[in-house]
Amino acid sequence: TVRPKNEVEHKQLCAFGEYVAEILPKYIQQVQVTCFNELELLIHPDGIIPVLTFLRDHTNAQFKSLADLTAVDVPSRQYRFEIVYNLLSLRFNSRIRVKTYTDELTPVESAVPVHKAANWYEREVWDMYGVFFANHPDLRRILTDYGFEGHPFRKDFPLSGYVEV
Amino acid sequence: MFMLSLQTTGLVGLAVAENPHERLRILYTKILGVLQNIPKDAAYRKYTEQIVNERFDLVKKEADVQKLQDKLNSGQIEEVIVQAENELSLARKMVQWKPWEPLVEEPPSNQWRWPI
Repeated sequence: TVRPKNEVEHKQLCAFGEYVAEILPKYIQQVQVTCFNELELLIHPDGIIPVLTFLRDHTNAQFKSLADLTAVDVPSRQYRFEIVYNLLSLRFNSRIRVKTYTDELTPVESAVPVHKAANWYEREVWDMYGVFFANHPDLRRILTDYGFEGHPFRKDFPLSGYVEV
Repeated sequence: MFMLSLQTTGLVGLAVAENPHERLRILYTKILGVLQNIPKDAAYRKYTEQIVNERFDLVKKEADVQKLQDKLNSGQIEEVIVQAENELSLARKMVQWKPWEPLVEEPPSNQWRWPI
């Protein structure tokens, strides 16, 4: 069986996406709504804190909850890492995804001043991918072993690692 | 719904607001003042002024707290006050960030292509 298409929700999300893109043209590069009714905002990395603060504080978009913060590694691109923020609005019961990009050496603004929940998520992204977060209160390894070298989730890191155990 | 002197909002950490109309009036006037510093054609100013004026009119017309909560349809009055405070801090930050300017930098052409 296939999930039935919800056209009304799709239209509402498209309208909301256009609303946000009209308010923040300085940072939003693209807006898309997937066929499963998921709204995504594609951002320039300078605009992380403005966009996240806007989505948290504006009356029409009270996305108070940061559900997830991850990264995606696509080595063939110039900016290989794509940072993904998933936000949830409890007032309006809706979700939104905010995506940015960076390469291995450029630091990204930390989202911790906006959402306290981003703390450990950013530590995980630093540990697993090597994306440095500027102004993070405590950026250190969280999942790998104490003397571990390398960033395991990168696509060029081999499956069984570099060290024999 | 009987109004005792000991009420609670039912939400942890949010105290009952005495005189919410006054507080909301102050906050909305402050927000409108901050918005004057944004260029008139910015979409943020237009939409926020619309929202704030709508809520301000409702606050001015309706004196009963319970009916005001129903008309605003946005949770308890204390939550509306918190939301107005957030909007005020956001407006102040927007004046500095100026997000109505055109795009900072275009992404590389293959950046957002999916599947690669």
